[in-house]
Amino acid sequence: MMLHGTAGRRDRRGGWRAIAAGAAGLTLAATMAACGGGSSGRTTVNFTYLWTGPEGKAMAAIIKDFNASQNKITVKGVSNPDQQSQLAAMASTSSSFDISDTFGNIVGAWASKGVLEPLNDDMSKDSYKTSDFAKAAMDQTVQGGKTYALPIAVHTVQLLYNKTLFKQAGIAGPPATTSEWAADIAKLTKTQGGKISQLGFANPDFTTMGWEFGGQWFDAKHQPTPDTPGNVQAANFYVDNVVKKYGAKAVQKFTSGFGEYASPENPFYQGKLAMTTDGEWQSAFTKQYAPKLDWGVAPLPYPDGHPELKDTTQVSSSVLFIPRSSQHKAEAWTFMKYLLAKKSMLSFTHTLANLPARTSLLGDQIYSDLPQFGTWQEALKSKNTHSFDSTSSSQQYTTDLTTASDQITLGKKSAQQALSAVAKQAKKYGN
Amino acid sequence: MATNVRQGAGLGAARRRREALIGLAFASPFLIGIVVFTAGPIIASAYYSLTNFNIFQSPVWVGLGNYRHLFHDDLFYKALWNTGVLMVIGVPVQLALALIVALGLSFQVRGQPLYRALVYLPSVVPMVTATYLWRWLLNSQYGTVNRILGALHLPQPDWMGDPLWTKPAVMLIVFWGIGTTAVIYLAALKQVPRDLYEAAEVDGAGIWWQFRRVTWPMISPVTLFQLIVGLIAALQVFAQPYLLAQQRLNATSGGPDNSLLTYSMYLFQNAFIYLKMGYASAMAWVLFLITLVLTAIVLRSSRRWVHYEE
Amino acid sequence: MSTATVRQAEPAVSSGQFRRRPVPTSRRLRQLGRHVVLVAICAAFFLPFTIMLLTSFKMPTDIFHVPPRLLPVHWVLSNYRQAFSSMPFGRYLGNSVLLVVLNVGGTLVSCPLVAYALAKLKWPGRGVVFTVVLSAMMLPPQVTMVPVYLIWSKLGLVNTFWPLFAPSFFGTPFFIFLLRQFFRNVPDDILEAARIDGAGEFRTYWQIVLPLAKPALATAAVFQFVWTWTDFVNPLIYIHDNSKFTLSIGLYNFFSEHGVEWGPLMAACGMFTLPAILIFVFAQRYFISGISTTGLK
Repeated sequence: MMLHGTAGRRDRRGGWRAIAAGAAGLTLAATMAACGGGSSGRTTVNFTYLWTGPEGKAMAAIIKDFNASQNKITVKGVSNPDQQSQLAAMASTSSSFDISDTFGNIVGAWASKGVLEPLNDDMSKDSYKTSDFAKAAMDQTVQGGKTYALPIAVHTVQLLYNKTLFKQAGIAGPPATTSEWAADIAKLTKTQGGKISQLGFANPDFTTMGWEFGGQWFDAKHQPTPDTPGNVQAANFYVDNVVKKYGAKAVQKFTSGFGEYASPENPFYQGKLAMTTDGEWQSAFTKQYAPKLDWGVAPLPYPDGHPELKDTTQVSSSVLFIPRSSQHKAEAWTFMKYLLAKKSMLSFTHTLANLPARTSLLGDQIYSDLPQFGTWQEALKSKNTHSFDSTSSSQQYTTDLTTASDQITLGKKSAQQALSAVAKQAKKYGN
Repeated sequence: MATNVRQGAGLGAARRRREALIGLAFASPFLIGIVVFTAGPIIASAYYSLTNFNIFQSPVWVGLGNYRHLFHDDLFYKALWNTGVLMVIGVPVQLALALIVALGLSFQVRGQPLYRALVYLPSVVPMVTATYLWRWLLNSQYGTVNRILGALHLPQPDWMGDPLWTKPAVMLIVFWGIGTTAVIYLAALKQVPRDLYEAAEVDGAGIWWQFRRVTWPMISPVTLFQLIVGLIAALQVFAQPYLLAQQRLNATSGGPDNSLLTYSMYLFQNAFIYLKMGYASAMAWVLFLITLVLTAIVLRSSRRWVHYEE
Repeated sequence: MSTATVRQAEPAVSSGQFRRRPVPTSRRLRQLGRHVVLVAICAAFFLPFTIMLLTSFKMPTDIFHVPPRLLPVHWVLSNYRQAFSSMPFGRYLGNSVLLVVLNVGGTLVSCPLVAYALAKLKWPGRGVVFTVVLSAMMLPPQVTMVPVYLIWSKLGLVNTFWPLFAPSFFGTPFFIFLLRQFFRNVPDDILEAARIDGAGEFRTYWQIVLPLAKPALATAAVFQFVWTWTDFVNPLIYIHDNSKFTLSIGLYNFFSEHGVEWGPLMAACGMFTLPAILIFVFAQRYFISGISTTGLK
């Protein structure tokens, strides 16, 4: 339930991506299975991607354009959303593909394990510039001075609020500070005989909130620091204002009734939840699932007396990479450049309602039909953008933080206890 | 005469040799298989368990590092605990339920094959289907189970969300598939000689005493068999908790507060998600050891409660 | 026959019979009681199927209705349409069936051979090999999972069906054990007689022993069928292409992508369960008799 960190954040869109499941992808998969290689002198590049549904279709369209644009390479696209099988496929050259996508926070682990091919040689040969890409995203893809992947889309986290509920509670606008936030949560929560019928805030994203309260998830040496004071404060903010205030049992009972994230039953669309933190794809989601919802987006509130923590956000990314086991690396690089060119990136990110990884595309006209999209774009320019370090053990760290998040929200452990336990566990991640 | 004997001996030797060759030939599929798919991998796995290994790079020797690591890994203990709970509570209850169902099925009534078929049917349902079906039945708000509990004014647990209730949810799914266990018990019940019951009846034994004095001892070898099979299966339980914990693709999950993280799930995560093949191999060896010890204990104790016919 | 007579007789006679022989009624009552118990048990086992089926025909408004509605107000097929259009059901089914056939075939070819060698042929190392069979039954598959995966990976056969069926052609310890126990009960005289008649060892095995072992073979086949059909872990580890998915993995992916849309999910579950039920209905006898013999040795 609790989605922590960047992988979880991006994963939420699984349901969205698959509204009509990649029928196109499946047919392509069948053709790929039958295909023995290029016949007309064109090299076949196999491209497996995690996107499915409408997003998969958007990608398929770009592939079609690419194949028509030149006569040396034929890209065969396969939509396969399962990351574990993607990883397993790369273990053997015979089952591998030539290019694929993943999440920025995974790059560290895969690079350190020899899964990914560094792109530096290709980049220097073409004097390829990466200065246009969002810095927070590049931080995740560069490991030990080598670039192992390049971002196509990025995501930021903002506070979403239900304007109708705000009006009913007599609140003029979104909270700017955490004390205002706490007061708003109280005003927006309705209980009846211990039973909750409306909650001001739930499903906290403790990763982003940790930064918001001045915490850090890694030290300068990229070692996990889950129990820095800011992180504990952030969790305690939720504990004090929601869990303890209304009772862990009551909150759990209420949140267990929350409907599917990517559906009209999403508690925020339903008005069961007045505030939530979420990413820019909500521009498209709300359009589809809750067209009548009157909602707003604001930066996360900052702790009182700490204006320097204003506009804190978490940046996560979707990146493209070439596996070491690829048989056609040069051709894959050619195709990657095509995908990352402004034209493809613009049309792809627009379809997905994702932020473009190229900063020069921010504020482009094309995004103007996406409601509230601007706030998320602005967030990317904030000086308080953070991204989760992409280290060899980031995935395990994320999993352990999810467990801690469960324990905290269920009232099983105090924030300090749960996060200290992660710190203890993190010492043993090894390789 | 003498030649005859020698010829006979020679013939015998030739025949023995021939038979040995034929025997080996007959057994060869297994002999090849056991070397390629079991013996070799066992040695390899023992070696990997002493290394850091991730498939993509060659193994790096770490000695007993993985094992030492294991005994300081909180999640290892959590996984052991979860598996232990599922086993210690789940297996006995499973056997008891199966026996009760089998006793019911052993009634001599018309339509008995139909009843038997209905009880067995869930066993042919793929685990994935069964688990998703139960996810729906156990849905905290709209699931049939909670709606029935609600109608009876009983508490309606949050089966998927409350760490206390996730394991009972797994057990329910397992219990739904006890058809196989029940049918094995049913066959055993039918083997109990009728005259034993008649003799007990003559002695004035009631139904309970008939069960205690006749049925239970007579089926105890089958109970032993099912207990061992059940224990081994419980130690390896994977699909049900894995699919119950599944939130969305690519999100590694052990359920709320890792309450569904079984030993096999944690092993799988280490091997195929974190690519810690060495660590996973060490875990597998510890699992093997646990299996052997538990089976040995059960077999030892069986001398006291399993009744064998002379 | 007797009931027919009773019915034909006039009521007075019937009640007279009733008074004279009270046993049948109490027996009938007891029978009734037994049926009630059995119906209750079966209802518990069958209820999930009913809910699955009913949910698959409901619209979300019916599914989430408070108070609950047992029957759909509007019976709709849209859930099935969505499930069918979201995945190539026929292909998944075909893959699963193919694997079942290959695995059952492999088991039936290899296991009786080995079991026969262990039960009836004398060769050096027989005792050792039997011990190996027994210990292999105890070995958790997790121990060999990683190295076996690497073997297939080195052979370039990951993401093919090979890892999912080839092992069965080398014999499964459990079935070898089962069949060996069965073969041991085949009298030696029969084999001797065949040998004296000049039949070779293989012919004896093929023409005499195997036909005798039909019930035991059916057991092995049935178990192998269920194992392959319900297997989740192996396809999860080895298969990555949509086009090669089995039903289990197909459904797993369907759920992963669609999340908890209960209507289509239950429709998909129903479609996945139906083939298993059909096969079970047709081969019920083998299922039950096969399983019944398992625990008895």
